[in-house]
Amino acid sequence: MSETAVLTVRDLRAHYVLSAFGINRSVSAVDGVSLRIGRNEIYGLAGESSSGKTTLIRTIAGAIRPPLRVLSGAIEFDFAGKRVAMQTATQSDLAAIRWRHLSYVMQGSMSVLNPVRRVRHSFVDFAYRHIGGDIREFLNAVRAHIGRVDLPPGVLDAYPHELSGGMRQRLAIALATICRPDFIIADEPTTALDVVVQKSVLGMIRSVQRELGSSMLFVTHDLAVHANLTDRLGIMYAGRLVEEAATAALFRQPLHPYTRHLVGSLPRIGATPPVTADLAGRPPSLADPPPGCRFHPRCPLAMPVCSEQAPDMRVVSDGHRVACFAVGVGA
Amino acid sequence: MGRTIWDLLRTNRAFAAGLVLLGLVMAVALLSFVSPYPPNDAYVVPPDVPPCWAYPLGTNSRGQDVFWQLSVAIRNTLAFGITVAAISRCLALTIGMVAGYAGGLIDRVLMSVNDTFIVIPLFPILVLFYFVMRDRMSWALLALVMACLGWAYDARLIRSVALSLRAREFTETAIFSGMSMRQVLLREHLPFVLPIVFSTTMNNINWSIGMEVTLSVLGFTDINTPTIGVMLYWANQHTAMVAGIWWWIAAPVALVVITFLGLFLLAVSMNEFIDPRSRLNRVRG
Repeated sequence: MSETAVLTVRDLRAHYVLSAFGINRSVSAVDGVSLRIGRNEIYGLAGESSSGKTTLIRTIAGAIRPPLRVLSGAIEFDFAGKRVAMQTATQSDLAAIRWRHLSYVMQGSMSVLNPVRRVRHSFVDFAYRHIGGDIREFLNAVRAHIGRVDLPPGVLDAYPHELSGGMRQRLAIALATICRPDFIIADEPTTALDVVVQKSVLGMIRSVQRELGSSMLFVTHDLAVHANLTDRLGIMYAGRLVEEAATAALFRQPLHPYTRHLVGSLPRIGATPPVTADLAGRPPSLADPPPGCRFHPRCPLAMPVCSEQAPDMRVVSDGHRVACFAVGVGA
Repeated sequence: MGRTIWDLLRTNRAFAAGLVLLGLVMAVALLSFVSPYPPNDAYVVPPDVPPCWAYPLGTNSRGQDVFWQLSVAIRNTLAFGITVAAISRCLALTIGMVAGYAGGLIDRVLMSVNDTFIVIPLFPILVLFYFVMRDRMSWALLALVMACLGWAYDARLIRSVALSLRAREFTETAIFSGMSMRQVLLREHLPFVLPIVFSTTMNNINWSIGMEVTLSVLGFTDINTPTIGVMLYWANQHTAMVAGIWWWIAAPVALVVITFLGLFLLAVSMNEFIDPRSRLNRVRG
């Protein structure tokens, strides 16, 4: 982990709070998550569906709408000395950092372009306001920029439906990077692509990120993508971060029992230890999570303490953190 | 836009037919500006002459040339329909898009007003209006009242589209990039909604013309401004049917049917325009 963190998240709790007909329901989609992302780093976030990945990054991006509510915790950005705390930032503060410093490739990035407007107009609508200056200069910059993602300048005059899925996703990435932001949040930007296109898009993300020197928070449930792209990887389970390590270390030596099963379930070529027994059950409902460690009802190593209190993230070795009582004993 | 219309003309028969019919109606309406007689003057020509070379649509019992009377009437009727449609479109667009986008309390308040307008019966209200206003009931006032009553269905339709647009990624991206509500509505959502509005505009013109004719025939409007309905009203007053002056009734009815047909065909073919994909497929394939 580098010394200067661009993003620091401390003990973040974000719940969906619903109240109708006098009944209150709270879905704890993100519960006690802390993480730091350094400069020039790609941080991956993995976890199965409804483990709170999207909620976490929506909160980080400040794109919070009811019923999502942040209950506690802090999110701080440090853009080359310009500090922004998302909890206290006003709308104009947010408008000032968005796109220039912080950009967001939404989930379903194939449809971030307005289908009834030409691509050029989407660039002008979304990004030009943050750059200003001469509009022709801006369009020239856009033309040069989409060359970086291997698109011909002609696509700017096309409608989104005339482009292929891969082209649209590359445009979405170009749109998010046009202002050379310090921090890019990408929510499953390659999920709908086949592996061939996915590989080229990932390579492109990597090269654009290297070129701009930005940091990136990359979310996908596809572990193969993480193995190819990310520097560090955090694993989420049922709204909590359960393990975090450098990507290679995490794949080589997963510590948390959930991560072990997750990595063990990946098919491997060659001498493979057979996949261990399947985990029984399914992830808990976040509206009514089990007490203590949220994984304990399915955990093969569960101890009495696991159902009483929730384990904190502890540093096991350099940059390797894990939230499990059993790991401390074994290692 | 010019390209779009040309493409539609080449590939869509209904659109071409609608355009020809409406062109015919418009030509008749425009001829009113060179009419040899002031529209409200009576006994300027011999009364009750059947269609002949001198009077192509005959003359009526009030000594007016039916053709020239008709051209002024259709001009006023069309202007009425377009005015009602324009005002009610503005209301429907604003209310529908804001309700769908803002959601929550704003949506609930606007939609309960909207639903009230949907359920109240329009015709008795308009008749009531006439009895309250009596002689002060002018053409412009009637247009305004009809516009205020005619926006509700389309506001619901537009709201449903706006609701779906609200949930799409490009809207989220627009909000994330810091666009205000006005900017999102005008720049991102309006181009989506406009083609749908074009189509419902045709229906709205049809509806308001039909309503105006109904009211006029019964004498519930300003009978001194010639419209299609007012022509029929005077024909009834002079018992044109019984007296055998059939051309006095047939001519305005035929013209208004042509207008309805033209607007209907345009509204139907607008579906092609709503979805650029189907249009492009047709043009290229």
